[in-house]
Amino acid sequence: MTATVMQASAADNKRPFDGKDAKLVLAHLLVAFTALLLGGVAGVLQGLVRGGMIELPSEIGYYQILTAHGVLMALIFTTFFIIGFLYAGVSKTMGGKLLGVVSRMGWAGYVLMTVGTILGTIMILANEATVLYTFYAPLKANPFFYIALVFVVVGSWISGYGIFTQYRYWRRTHKGSVSPLFGFMAVATMLVWQIATIGVAITVLFQFIPWSFGWVEKINIMISRTLFWYFGHPLVYFWLMPAYMCWYICIPKIIGGKIFSDSMARLSFVLFILFSIPVGFHHQLMEPGIAPVWKYIQVVLTFMVVIPSLMTAFAMFATFEQTGRAKGARGLFGWLKTLPWGDVRFFAPFMGMLVFIPAGAGGIINASNQMNAMVHNTLWVTGHFHLTVATTVALTFFGVAYWLIPHVLGKQLTPRMNRLGIIQTIIWLIGMFFMSGSMHTVGLFGSPRRTAYTTYGDHPDAVFWMPYHVAMAIGGTILFIGVILMFCNMIALMRAPKGDEKTAAEFPIGETADAAEPTPKWIERWGVWVGVLVVLILFAYTVPFGDMLVNPAPGSKPWVTW
Amino acid sequence: MSRDRSDKEKDTLKGTFTSVMLLGGFIALSWLGVFILFINR
Repeated sequence: MTATVMQASAADNKRPFDGKDAKLVLAHLLVAFTALLLGGVAGVLQGLVRGGMIELPSEIGYYQILTAHGVLMALIFTTFFIIGFLYAGVSKTMGGKLLGVVSRMGWAGYVLMTVGTILGTIMILANEATVLYTFYAPLKANPFFYIALVFVVVGSWISGYGIFTQYRYWRRTHKGSVSPLFGFMAVATMLVWQIATIGVAITVLFQFIPWSFGWVEKINIMISRTLFWYFGHPLVYFWLMPAYMCWYICIPKIIGGKIFSDSMARLSFVLFILFSIPVGFHHQLMEPGIAPVWKYIQVVLTFMVVIPSLMTAFAMFATFEQTGRAKGARGLFGWLKTLPWGDVRFFAPFMGMLVFIPAGAGGIINASNQMNAMVHNTLWVTGHFHLTVATTVALTFFGVAYWLIPHVLGKQLTPRMNRLGIIQTIIWLIGMFFMSGSMHTVGLFGSPRRTAYTTYGDHPDAVFWMPYHVAMAIGGTILFIGVILMFCNMIALMRAPKGDEKTAAEFPIGETADAAEPTPKWIERWGVWVGVLVVLILFAYTVPFGDMLVNPAPGSKPWVTW
Repeated sequence: MSRDRSDKEKDTLKGTFTSVMLLGGFIALSWLGVFILFINR
């Protein structure tokens, strides 16, 4: 059974954004980019220390700024940007404005997350929480660091409920229609987040908080790590899915084409729901205490989650080619020339897509058991996630910011701003080429991650790594220039000249190609997808997790090593 | 006849097919490269 998909028209894309919703979106983006700036400062210092170029004053620790960098960039920048972006699209495509209750939930979530961010940042700056962004036990932070995390997660849950509420309202008032693609994908993304964060909520509430307050003496490290990675891998998809939303929905419109297939886009998101969660063991392949057969099963499931990314790659190429050929492109790759290379709204996300090719290939290597033994805990892994989240996702989010900020404010994306955006993207790519390229290479030579400057007593292997560490520092410095420019660009976008109907930046929502098959209604049976996901989670985790509970490791007292 | 060819040219996805094949090849070669490194260590 199929149904009509609500299509956005050109007039919808240009329609002014609701003023009240604009404030909510901008509030999220402001925290996101402030976190990016602070995280960038921590990042460049860290790179310079590791490269042996500077020494930090004794009051600041290397691992302290490493924690700040990870938390502010990977957790705060991403989560705030994503929620701001999703609320913007939900408001735009599902009714033109948020329902009163949804807006209130959005603000409640925002306030909780911001309080958590401020509290967590204070704890890190006070050197009370130098536990890195993965906060592995038995490193023990001040209990208020974990409480700060609770604020962030609970805030994001409430924001998620807001998105679900608007979606349900839309469906109730549009019976018989398939929901707008943006709304569908926003729900899928927040669904992954809600289910994934259950793991981190359990470990923080029942393990870390009682243990850090001293109410219990010991913590079961195996269980805490397993619950963390139950959350940690879908976290990656929580970053990636909104980037894919830009690629599937906005990029076709920006390049003057159409969405290749609405059904395929939705199916890829359903596959992300099913396979992004029961895969955490591929981060624990080198850990004892998990039977190899369960690691194997989760690796197989990990390879399943490659499929929707490959589907996305196909859909992107097809969108580009169809659009180019409709404009008269000929030959095998003639369509490449028709893409709008001078438009930052396309250029930045496209470069993100391009970088996802080596990033994805690296991910497949990481998830392969034997090769994981070689790259585990080396700088290769750091290089890998600086391609995935810090380039593919970050550049896509930057690309979105160039139209989202002026659109919600009714302003223009001026040619000057566009040029600055292109320059920012190129700076980012150059910096990342040096930094991530060196990390990947020196990681294969065995240089460990999460390590301050050391020559290991001038051991020849460690001395051999040094030039790569210097290249990392140079790349990191170039990236820091990129961070500063991005922050300035964001301020400039907010101060851009007002636009009218013709000149204001549009919210690019693509239409589906005429030749695409209609979208089947069963794709929105959320109960079925969640049901299958629960079965997969129970299958992948019940026996090994039960084993950890029944035969627990001795447990560890807290350690404060800094 | 030439119009048919022009329509065919418009609808073809041969560039997409070639691109995804190249992508697959890149993934396979990267994987193999690191695997060979693993075998040699």
